[in-house]
Amino acid sequence: MRGERTVAGPAERTDAARAERADVAGADAARIARLSTRCRLVLLEMIHRAGSGHAGSSLSCTDIIGVLKFDQMDRRADRSTGDVFVLSKGHAVPAWYAALIVDGDLPAEEVGTLRALDSRLQGHPDRTRLGLVDVSTGALGQGLSVAVGRALARRLHGRDSTVYCLLGDGECQEGQVWEAFLYAGAHRVPGLVAIIDHNGGQSDGAVADILPLYSLPEKLRAFGWHVDEVDGHDHGALRDVLRRRDRDRPSVIIAHTRKGRLGPDRVLLGGSHSDLPSAAEYAAAVDYLETLLEQGS
Amino acid sequence: MSSTRDWFGTALVEIAREYDHVVVVNCDLAKATRTLPFKEEFPDRFFECGIAEANAIGVAAGLAQEGFRPFVASFGHFLTGKFLEIFQTVGLNDAGVVLVGTHAGLAIGRDGPTQMGLRDLALMRTLPNVGVFQPADGVETWQMTAHLATDRRPSYLRLCRQSLPEVHADGYRFRFGIPHVVRAGADVVVFAMGGTVPVAVEAADRLAARGIAPTVVNVSSLPVDRATVERLAGGHRQVLVVEDHYAVGGLADELGRIVLGLPDRPRYDVLAVPDYGQAGPPEDLYRRYRLDAPGIADRVAALLQDAPR
Repeated sequence: MRGERTVAGPAERTDAARAERADVAGADAARIARLSTRCRLVLLEMIHRAGSGHAGSSLSCTDIIGVLKFDQMDRRADRSTGDVFVLSKGHAVPAWYAALIVDGDLPAEEVGTLRALDSRLQGHPDRTRLGLVDVSTGALGQGLSVAVGRALARRLHGRDSTVYCLLGDGECQEGQVWEAFLYAGAHRVPGLVAIIDHNGGQSDGAVADILPLYSLPEKLRAFGWHVDEVDGHDHGALRDVLRRRDRDRPSVIIAHTRKGRLGPDRVLLGGSHSDLPSAAEYAAAVDYLETLLEQGS
Repeated sequence: MSSTRDWFGTALVEIAREYDHVVVVNCDLAKATRTLPFKEEFPDRFFECGIAEANAIGVAAGLAQEGFRPFVASFGHFLTGKFLEIFQTVGLNDAGVVLVGTHAGLAIGRDGPTQMGLRDLALMRTLPNVGVFQPADGVETWQMTAHLATDRRPSYLRLCRQSLPEVHADGYRFRFGIPHVVRAGADVVVFAMGGTVPVAVEAADRLAARGIAPTVVNVSSLPVDRATVERLAGGHRQVLVVEDHYAVGGLADELGRIVLGLPDRPRYDVLAVPDYGQAGPPEDLYRRYRLDAPGIADRVAALLQDAPR
């Protein structure tokens, strides 16, 4: 058949290649979306069975973690190479555990052990109990500093890899976060990507009411970082923005998200920070997510 | 005579020539903490974080996780003041960071309590995987620095500002957790740490004229070996703990948990700083808090005098 095709001109060739790439990218984005929906089912089951955990905060960053875990990150069994993931907003760790389970790194049987005595799945990430956690976090504001140290070490070792750090927006009220932004920007630390899960909520209410971050992108640019903004639930856009990052200096992505987001038209518990879904709310969420999966997203 | 921070600065450079995984994380105090020679010789292994200790502790933890052995240095009071950061990114991460806290105790003098490392031991002792090290002289500082460069565990190295004489013979071998008798005596044993060790030895010299010969023990690392403390304390009727630190949470608490559990327990007394401290010349402060040689000697004599015979 190939021989029968007329020879395409340069413009057509480019368009065809672009369309093909778009198809592959679209297929990949759809695959990541499905895996992220499965993560939502797993993390809600974990929190429901534990009777405790931050569902809203986990759901707001599930898509970000999905893109990192199922697409961007090179995580090898030997943790001395490959990429690093620091979950500075450690209370969202059910989203990370869920990604590990969906990806087959953790046995699915452990889904019922979140926050249980002697569990590897501590309420906040603890690397002394679970090697699949790169950095122990929980008290907010500390993860970015460790990510900076790891990126510096990798530069010194000559290793080409990326250290990702996921922060909350409320967390950016902590002074140490700005010490780390200041340091990494001033020293142009390469191989470092911070992602701010900008869901606008924190424990006592809205970030805008409690202590607004005002002009976050401008502040971060002034600290010497490459800054991008994206819809934090758009898997394709997240991939694009991660690929566009600056390789020679630190990059930060402000991901606009919705706390408690289940899917395109559904939010759990009105976007609450740490409320627990009732049995009925949990069942309705599961039904919704399973319907999404049946519809192929 | 030199200070443990001076000996540390010299030792670190020499040891770093042999071990290229040794790095330094600084918080704008390279001159005061004596890491400046390291910076000059190994600029690529020196990370200047500025006046931002919390970030420096996190950066050090990240470097440690990647196989380096970071020494993050500041005044002990400033460094351990970032307790939540040390607890989580060093302790709960089991990150092999060496926290170097200088200017231990009252010796910072006229700068006063906002700079005095008087509660650092209490804080660091609460972290179950963090070892505490405080050398008493040059021999011990060298050995501890070499030990810390090759070890991988999270550690706190407590260093002094004041000049100290040697209390150990050249053949001394530092062993983690094992207290060392620097003066053998009878009846009363004085446990000391770091800068108070030579002062306790001087007190023992003064007491000789009064016919009193206390044993003086250097407890240079914590947690301390229980059996060694039981053996040393058990051989005496009185125990005095002398520390250049707040009276609560430091060496006295560490040793008290052992000594007070002995079946035939000796009398137990503590000479330490009972308040926030204050500004003043170091010698005046040590005199005020009875942590100078006459103060220690008087306390030992009083302990023996009050003791039931």
